[in-house]
Amino acid sequence: MFPLFLLLAFGFGNILMLGWLAAAAAPILIHLWNKRRYREVPWAAVEYLLAALRKNSRRMRLEQWLLLLVRTLIVMLLVFAVAQPFLEQLGLNFVPGQRTLKVLVVDGSYSMGYKPTDKSRFERAKQLATQIVEESSQGDAFTLVLMASPPSVIVGSPSVEPREFLEEIENLKLPHGGGDLPATLVQVEQILHSAEHSGLVRSEVYFFTDLGRNSWVPDLKDTEAADYRRRLERLAQEASLVVIDLDPNRGENLAVTGIAANEPFATTAREVTFSAQVRNFGTQPRNHHLVELHVDGQRIKEAYVDVAAGEQSPISFSHRFDTPGDHVVEVRLGPDLLDIDNHRWLSVPVKDHLRVLCVNGKPASGGLSGATDYVALALNPDAGDTSVPSIVQPEVIPESSLLERDLTRYDCIFLCNVAQFTSNEARVLENVLKHGRGLVFFLGDQVLADRYNRELGGEQGVRVLPAQLKELVSEAQYHFDPLNYRHPLVSVFQGREQAGLLTTPVYKYFRLALADDSKARVALAFDGGDPAIVDEAIHKGRSILIATEGSLSSVDPISKSPWTTMPAWPSFVPIVQEILALAVRGQMAEHNLEVGQTLGDSLEALASRAAVTVTSPGGAREEVRMTLDAQASGWSFSDTRESGVYRVELGAPLSRQEAFAVNVDTTSESDLTKVAPDELPKEFTTHKRADLDESDSPSISRRSGLHKNLLYGVLGLLFAEVFLAWRFGHTTR
Amino acid sequence: MESNPKFLNPQTLAKLQGLELRARSIVEGYVSGVHRSPYHGFSIEFAEHREYTPGDDLRYVDWKVFGKTDKIYLKQYEEETNLVSYMLLDTSESMRYQSAEAPLSKLEYAQCVAASLSYLILQQQDSVGLITFDDEIRALVRASSNPSHLKQLLHVMETSQPRRKTHTGPIFHDLAERLKRRGLVLILSDLFDDVPSMMAGLKHFRHRRHEVVVFHVLDPAELEFPFRQTTLFRGLEALPDVLTDPRALRRAYLAEFGKFQQAVRKGCRAQHVDYVLLRTDQSLEIALSSYLASRMNRVK
Repeated sequence: MFPLFLLLAFGFGNILMLGWLAAAAAPILIHLWNKRRYREVPWAAVEYLLAALRKNSRRMRLEQWLLLLVRTLIVMLLVFAVAQPFLEQLGLNFVPGQRTLKVLVVDGSYSMGYKPTDKSRFERAKQLATQIVEESSQGDAFTLVLMASPPSVIVGSPSVEPREFLEEIENLKLPHGGGDLPATLVQVEQILHSAEHSGLVRSEVYFFTDLGRNSWVPDLKDTEAADYRRRLERLAQEASLVVIDLDPNRGENLAVTGIAANEPFATTAREVTFSAQVRNFGTQPRNHHLVELHVDGQRIKEAYVDVAAGEQSPISFSHRFDTPGDHVVEVRLGPDLLDIDNHRWLSVPVKDHLRVLCVNGKPASGGLSGATDYVALALNPDAGDTSVPSIVQPEVIPESSLLERDLTRYDCIFLCNVAQFTSNEARVLENVLKHGRGLVFFLGDQVLADRYNRELGGEQGVRVLPAQLKELVSEAQYHFDPLNYRHPLVSVFQGREQAGLLTTPVYKYFRLALADDSKARVALAFDGGDPAIVDEAIHKGRSILIATEGSLSSVDPISKSPWTTMPAWPSFVPIVQEILALAVRGQMAEHNLEVGQTLGDSLEALASRAAVTVTSPGGAREEVRMTLDAQASGWSFSDTRESGVYRVELGAPLSRQEAFAVNVDTTSESDLTKVAPDELPKEFTTHKRADLDESDSPSISRRSGLHKNLLYGVLGLLFAEVFLAWRFGHTTR
Repeated sequence: MESNPKFLNPQTLAKLQGLELRARSIVEGYVSGVHRSPYHGFSIEFAEHREYTPGDDLRYVDWKVFGKTDKIYLKQYEEETNLVSYMLLDTSESMRYQSAEAPLSKLEYAQCVAASLSYLILQQQDSVGLITFDDEIRALVRASSNPSHLKQLLHVMETSQPRRKTHTGPIFHDLAERLKRRGLVLILSDLFDDVPSMMAGLKHFRHRRHEVVVFHVLDPAELEFPFRQTTLFRGLEALPDVLTDPRALRRAYLAEFGKFQQAVRKGCRAQHVDYVLLRTDQSLEIALSSYLASRMNRVK
């Protein structure tokens, strides 16, 4: 019979077919049945029959056993072939003497950090890859690709030095991003093409993966999908594509999917509330799960959440920062098997107060007649009350002083009824946006629309305005249309009609025109349909343009009435506060990124000498070189493959520290849903790995022609059977 | 001479009832027109008495002896005819065998041959006798050339029942002693017996200057062993049963059987005994031709 240990050395694509091995008993049963089913004849020449039997009984028995063996083997090999066997033992060459290129692709999506045992899936992948290398034949060559997003070719040229190659595997670190299969296949194809003339006869591509649906069922457009399919077909012709499923189980997972401050900015003057979301990506409900709030590494608060399967639960914490500067808030979940998405950090720039510069285009002639007077008051309504700490500290300067100030030191700049800007002023304003600060333009009777459009509207190469200024409109009394309160600027007014937003009268305004391809949003419109407030994120900052006046200083020369009485209206203070919040909100986002995004900052030119050192979450420190262009210097750091807090030290003359929070994108890899092997393209040969707990011995599938060889074996045995049957006299003449 | 092959065909003979009818059909099929034997001889010289056996011609009963002893003895004369033939018909159980391929059993075939030859011999005014035997002599009919003698011969043949095993050696020795007058001994048997012993018997015949023709009657199945499926061979003549896969054993059996045939042929050749193989599915022409050829030799 077929030795059992040989069976154990194989894996099977269709193991259920092995049930048919029972059919191997058929020849034996037929033989026994034939022995029982005989006919009787009288016979005279028994003497000679007995003599023949005496002399040949051993031979006949031997022949009978041989034939039975051949027939049984035919059935067994046939069943074995249909079961699609593959050799589990690593490193055995089916085709001796043929050098093989083995492209090892390790899934680098962060779901590989799932740790069902003492080893994570990623560590298992490295272990299996190591084993493949160690057990390969001499002369085989290896390349190594990390299937991350974007993919990373660790060893691109076929390496024939296993020791060096193994070091590369050992040094592999799991990035905290997704896995881009189509892009990885592009890299694999390039590797195969570059190795075409290297004398390597066969090519095998091994994918060590957890078969996460997000990586293995890529969401592609039609053309991309067609490219992907074609590439896959080409690859399958060039190489065996073997997928090794590292963990057959889907896995349970809880993740922090979001964290944000409810306030647009944080100051030491008031408490900040943080909202986080905890999502259950598993199939079982999770109750009373620990959630902790850490600030600057210190545990501040904890709470417990219940999250139903597939659902999300919000959780809020409040905290008041004592000192200004960059603080890091972390929401941390109690442990589960995938730790990477149990943390979410938020870098919060905390200030003593917001510094707002108000540029007065029309100085006061007495009382509140200046262009910035109402705005400055609205920015800090408690200015006179010393018992209340100021959150916003406005500073008013005349327009002539604009160039004298370092505008990047202010969080937001309100430009009120400024007549015009020079090119230098325009560039300075643009630099403000590049630093992630806010610009707010109130218009008025001093404004020269053509100069605005020319200097600030992009005609001279500098664009800081979200819309073009057109003609003045003053035909009637206008009111605001909140446009269904869709914009965050006005959403606070929804349900608060008594705030008077809708009844605010406007008599005169500039018609604002948005370009067709503009990304600017209309936050508030006039009832005639013209935009009243437009905002746009430009560079890293935000520019907000209000079509009318922010004070009562502009008076229509004919009707003698102000452009608008909005500054005296109850809606003015909230609207200015919301404008400020919108303008500075970007500063909070500036230091909060996702894995793979680039850290960096634009600094004033004089900072170009500053040494920049980035400390990664893992503790690695790296010096970053400052770059310098005409107006500003800057630095950038792109190696953000790991989630966590990146601390940046800016040396003299800046001498400050910044903290950047880099978080994982939980929309993809936190969901551990697997793709079923039969959903994979047929080009992939999938192999299910046994449970990691069971054994350390890996089982690797190799796409092989073994079943074909077996079928050839069956054919050979059929011929042998016919010949033997004839030779043994089992055929009649 | 023209032959009518129809009646020489065993298939046809099988359809005919009665040995006499079969014999007549064979001979008349083979010989057209009987001519008298030019070697016809007659002697009235008394030789000896012998005990009466059923079928003996009552004309030769020595009534004087009967009157004195109340026992029936026949008067024996020398040289009753030119040619005396003795049919030695094997009636052992193995002769009963008939395969599916053969129209007649070996015994039936041998009976046909014996009857035909007897008929032919008597037709030619020669004398013929008959001995049936298995492990002993079952019947002995003295040779006679009387045409009515045929009925007696046929009667003995037809009433002979195949049973028991063949023991040719002792019987041949016995007969060699008993058949005083040298003549033609025609042996019809499958010869399934110990070959050396049988050869010794034949040698004895030859020693007594008999001409011997051995008609080796075999069934085609015994010569070809055409069996395919597993078969239980029930041994005749008290031999054991054999259950085997005949396809696996065929080659070896044919080798063994060939050796047996070879030994018989070789023995016959050594003794100057004519050997004629008769397959029970073959025409009887061979048997008749062989007899005539031997007879020609005898009278030269």
